[in-house]
Amino acid sequence: MNTDKPHTVMPPKPSFSVTNWARINLFSNFFNSVVTISVVLFLLWIVPAVFSWMFINAVGFGGDEALCRSAEGACWPFMREKARLILFGTYPYDEQWRAALASLIVIGLVAILMLKRLSVRMMILLWVGGGALFVGLMLGNVMGLPAVQTVQWNGLPVFLLLAVFSLAAAFPLGVVLALARFQNQHLLLRSLATGYIELIRGVPLLTVLFMGLFILPMIMPQGFFIEPLFAILIALMLFHAAYIAEDIRGGLQVLPRGQFEAADSLGLKYRYQVLLVILPQALKKALPAIFNTLIGGYKDTSLVVIVGIHDMLSTAKMAYSDPGWQKYGLEAYFFVGLWYFISCWCLSAYGRRLERAV
Amino acid sequence: MRRVVVLVLVAFVLSFASATLVMAGSVLDEIKSSEKIICLVNPNSPGFSTPDSKGVFQGFNTDFCRMAGAAILGDAGKADIRGIGFSDSMKTLVARKAHMASRSITNTGTRDADPGLAFVVTTFYDGQGFMVANDLGVKSATELNGATVCAEEGSTTLLNIADWFGNRKMTYKVENIGDKTARLQAFYAGKCDVLASDYTALLSDRQLAPNPAGYSILPEIISNEPLTLVAQPDQDLEAILFWGFQVMLTAEKYGITSQNVDSIVKDLSNQPKSVKRLLGEKSAVGDMAEKLQIPSGWAYNIIKQVGNYGEVFERHLGENTAFKLERKGTPNDLSSRGGLMYAYPIR
Repeated sequence: MNTDKPHTVMPPKPSFSVTNWARINLFSNFFNSVVTISVVLFLLWIVPAVFSWMFINAVGFGGDEALCRSAEGACWPFMREKARLILFGTYPYDEQWRAALASLIVIGLVAILMLKRLSVRMMILLWVGGGALFVGLMLGNVMGLPAVQTVQWNGLPVFLLLAVFSLAAAFPLGVVLALARFQNQHLLLRSLATGYIELIRGVPLLTVLFMGLFILPMIMPQGFFIEPLFAILIALMLFHAAYIAEDIRGGLQVLPRGQFEAADSLGLKYRYQVLLVILPQALKKALPAIFNTLIGGYKDTSLVVIVGIHDMLSTAKMAYSDPGWQKYGLEAYFFVGLWYFISCWCLSAYGRRLERAV
Repeated sequence: MRRVVVLVLVAFVLSFASATLVMAGSVLDEIKSSEKIICLVNPNSPGFSTPDSKGVFQGFNTDFCRMAGAAILGDAGKADIRGIGFSDSMKTLVARKAHMASRSITNTGTRDADPGLAFVVTTFYDGQGFMVANDLGVKSATELNGATVCAEEGSTTLLNIADWFGNRKMTYKVENIGDKTARLQAFYAGKCDVLASDYTALLSDRQLAPNPAGYSILPEIISNEPLTLVAQPDQDLEAILFWGFQVMLTAEKYGITSQNVDSIVKDLSNQPKSVKRLLGEKSAVGDMAEKLQIPSGWAYNIIKQVGNYGEVFERHLGENTAFKLERKGTPNDLSSRGGLMYAYPIR
């Protein structure tokens, strides 16, 4: 009797070789080969060009404008000279540490919220506290800090204020709008939410910005004056809320009916049904769409230059408008582009991580 | 916990809604008590007002803000210069939240008729002109029959062009491009024969050409654009701005500069009467200071801290700047040299 265990023979492991890998992944058919070769040619052209612009033909940070005039590559002394202007614009030079600190507070706040799991109450406290600290630092007139008018706020802090706070405040509003539109017990509430969302989505962001600038101050109570900057902050928040609401409604719609009925049968009040059963699942489903809106809204913030608010794109333009430095727009926009790339990349990396975690 | 949240919320809302201060008394009193004169400029107009590397506005227009600071508060640095868009700056002035604007505003009849704005004194005579590539071989705008003109959509530029070409029965084509960068790119790429804009705008646009020397601005100026200082209506403030500017013209006329003013003051007894009236203790400027309630050395302060008109012009727009704007024989030269800058008598 054969007592040997039946032994299975595995197919031979293909020995790894670069040519094999390339044949399978890069040159599997004619079309793929054409694509591969074009991409390689493109990279061969663009990478050395960018590299020599950035390093080889560039004038280093230690140089001066005179050296830049004859150089073919980037003029980094421009950035040494103008970095503070691009970051903080016309905020008084001696007080710019406040603008820097305020910006760091916002960035830190976002970082904490991304890295730590916090209770809703803690989050609200952090947002409101951080916001108050930001405005107090920037505006001054408290704790011996000289007052700085909001027209002098430019660059990074203004961008962060508008982008981060408008999106953060739009989120809870969006949740409420989505819930109001999704239910059918209160028809009036539903039609109000639907009307609001469709109205906002039916007009361009620019229209909403102009509304914030011209209409909002008119409807303020007598004796109150709202700074254009804060009017625009509110307008942006109202705009983003409509889009976030629709993202969340998308998540609500894919939830099976059974979830609502199960929550009902547990005898939970509406509030707890929503907070404990519905929202956690709906938000999870809506995550990709929400991050789409967040990143889009973050980048759209630079439109505020139309209403006379100068974010970093606008201060970059100021930097190369200086008669002595008019030729270095590319360097300025390179810097701003780098900022957008890094911050947007962080945002979408956070989105991916969150999708895996929940 | 909840109470803390509410408290922080209240503080937040309060910091948002900053109530406006009600201004009492004259504009001049307000300037003196707050120790600053709020002056609105264009946030980005190379040569006229652009923030320098420290975020401080520099340029031809900002120097008239500094002139006001030197005259009223004795310190040019006390001018609180703020960059703000055109229509916003008009609204801010009318709402009495700023004291003056120095931002290349053309004085027109309908604007001056507005009761909330006082047009005070013209600091720069501009006008619409044409720029061409030297290769085109055109020396005068009258040779532009049939040309393609790059101009800004929706501006008065197009109306002026229509008038000018129409009056001469010349034909032209318009390339209508709203965005400035795109317009310049189109022109420098040869899409149009001519770029039309304000003369000074053309000068700074030329600096952005791949080879600025390859372009020239034609001698014809086809519109009048008197760029004027605007103040919040207040008789004293208007008088100070008007006469402050006259001090700058007079100083140039007599060759007094920020460099030599100190030595002239030291040697005042040997100076001509007209100079004594401008810089002396018991002089015309002293009488004016008493009536206007400003520091008695206001004329000296302007000349010392800002300079005479020619100095300001050369500093920001002249031969040694990127703009290389020639002043000789233009309306911006002194009247004694054929310009329109006519110094009123300070006596």
